[in-house]
Amino acid sequence: MNRSVPDNAVELERLSKRFSIRTMRENGARRRAVQKEILAVDGIDLVIRRGELFGLLGPNGAGKTTTIRMLCTLLIPTSGRARVWGFDVAEQADEVRRRLGVVLAGERSIYWKLTARENLEYFAALYQVPRDLARPRIADLLERVGLTARADDLVERYSTGMRQRLALIKAMVHDPPVLLLDEPTTGLDPQAARNIRDLIRHLHHSEGKTIILTTHYMEEADQLSERIGIIDQGRIIALDSPQALKRSLGQGSVLRFELVGGKDDLEGSLRTIPGVHTVTVERPADDGTRELILHLNDPGAALPRALDAISRGGGQVRHLQMEETSLEDVFIALTGRRLRD
Amino acid sequence: MALTVPHPCGVVPSRPGYAGPFAAVVRRELRIFLRYPSWVVGMIIWPVLFPLIYLFGSRALAGPEGQGLSAFARLAGTTNVQGFIVIGTTAWMWLNMTLWAVGTSLRTDQVRGVLESNWLTPVPRFVLLLGTAASHAVLALAVLVLSLVEFRVLLGIHFSPSVSGAAAVIALTIPWVYGLAMAFAAVVLRFKEANAMVYFVRGVFMVFAGITFPLSVLPDWMARIAAYMPLTHTIEAFRAALLQGAGPAALRVHLAFLFWSGLLLLALGYYVFRTVDRLMRRVGTVGHH
Repeated sequence: MNRSVPDNAVELERLSKRFSIRTMRENGARRRAVQKEILAVDGIDLVIRRGELFGLLGPNGAGKTTTIRMLCTLLIPTSGRARVWGFDVAEQADEVRRRLGVVLAGERSIYWKLTARENLEYFAALYQVPRDLARPRIADLLERVGLTARADDLVERYSTGMRQRLALIKAMVHDPPVLLLDEPTTGLDPQAARNIRDLIRHLHHSEGKTIILTTHYMEEADQLSERIGIIDQGRIIALDSPQALKRSLGQGSVLRFELVGGKDDLEGSLRTIPGVHTVTVERPADDGTRELILHLNDPGAALPRALDAISRGGGQVRHLQMEETSLEDVFIALTGRRLRD
Repeated sequence: MALTVPHPCGVVPSRPGYAGPFAAVVRRELRIFLRYPSWVVGMIIWPVLFPLIYLFGSRALAGPEGQGLSAFARLAGTTNVQGFIVIGTTAWMWLNMTLWAVGTSLRTDQVRGVLESNWLTPVPRFVLLLGTAASHAVLALAVLVLSLVEFRVLLGIHFSPSVSGAAAVIALTIPWVYGLAMAFAAVVLRFKEANAMVYFVRGVFMVFAGITFPLSVLPDWMARIAAYMPLTHTIEAFRAALLQGAGPAALRVHLAFLFWSGLLLLALGYYVFRTVDRLMRRVGTVGHH
């Protein structure tokens, strides 16, 4: 279908998804099954521009994958709307599927008993790509990810990284303008993960693809994304460029203290120190230690005063570490939890 | 950042129609099947071994001089006991292979993780299902022909086939098998389990459709149920076509029943599958296993 190229690749309007799940409840000595409602995605509003590389960052269970699955038409939203390339995911699912390349289950999303070329030919046929266009495109894709020499080997003989690369080009066989990549580097060794990240960068910069990436690796989201949405408990709690998100915690560094003891109001007294932007206190560990995280605008001025305040407050510093602000710090500052919790 | 829009509409030009995707699914299934040599060997040996149990049983029951054959002929309408059994069991196996292939293939794809990849494409899901069924129908037809040749050559079983009659039975059997296969695929999709359903329906079919015995030995209530099962008509019509050379005209009662049950079961299977598919998209368990 011919239609003008939209400015926005993806638009979400108050998108929600509610699941009803069976769970076991203790009732005295008996256990019985009860239905429980879970709001996995809670009214998300989001616009992703054409040609943008967007990262959706959040811990497991935050709602990333549910959002992606609604976008790629595998799930029907409970309420709200989602449009991909101008088409509604619930009402115009086929048009959405033609414009999306999706990598969901990574290496498991391809047939291991077929060769790479057979897999790509198969999926090209399902996307109704004419054979005379499919053949050169498949050869080009295989070449681009360095699989030409192994193109006629069964996929079961590939390494995990090779399969992941194949899964990625399988999603591109119909040359979709939008790519959804759900945790594309999970389970890969560092070298294979780097190769995938390079490929994603290339697709974005050289081909202008709109790429939506979900990950719980903050470094990956930081390195790749032009904009990041941090998602937690089904809501987008922060949305900006990685640099701007980190700047929101102050211009400087992060100071991590591992403490034993200390008064309860230590956090309050640290907050009053000039140069301290925010203070986060983590839950005490089993051995009684707890972590204090200070985001500093002026580390030189704030560090000696912070040490002094801790000492006066009866705390003992076990370990101290100064580092650059990361997206993990942003997440902790917003939620009080780590991404991997 | 340099921005290059890949195509005015964002996708490569697509070829309309579903013949290409359908053929691709058939090719995929056949390729995967042929890459498991044990499946191929099993497919050749099992259809020959399975009827032998009943053949030797019938020889034992016929008595030392074959006295029981006349009683069997009175009930079955033929003295060709071996042909009667072989056609019954072979037709049953052919239908089994096609019928269960859709559900079990769906289940295998679910466990492998490739089901969602297929369902993310713009091809209607029933095209994917029918492609799977067609590939197994091709394999099963090859088995059917091979089995009949093997029985002719190895056991000297005599057939007097009407090719047009047999072709008409096959053509009118495929719709009801596909309809039931779609309904079965829906059950697999919903309950993530294939085996219990397979064993139950397979057992019912085996007893009620009279694959190794004439239906006249069934109690009245069972015979009445059997008369409304399309498998019964497929097997009866096959026997008439291959043992007595009955053509389409002589088979018209069976063929009419198969035609109408094909229409009904296709519509029912399509409806059930669509309903379950939509339910799965609401609850989000398509890829779960």
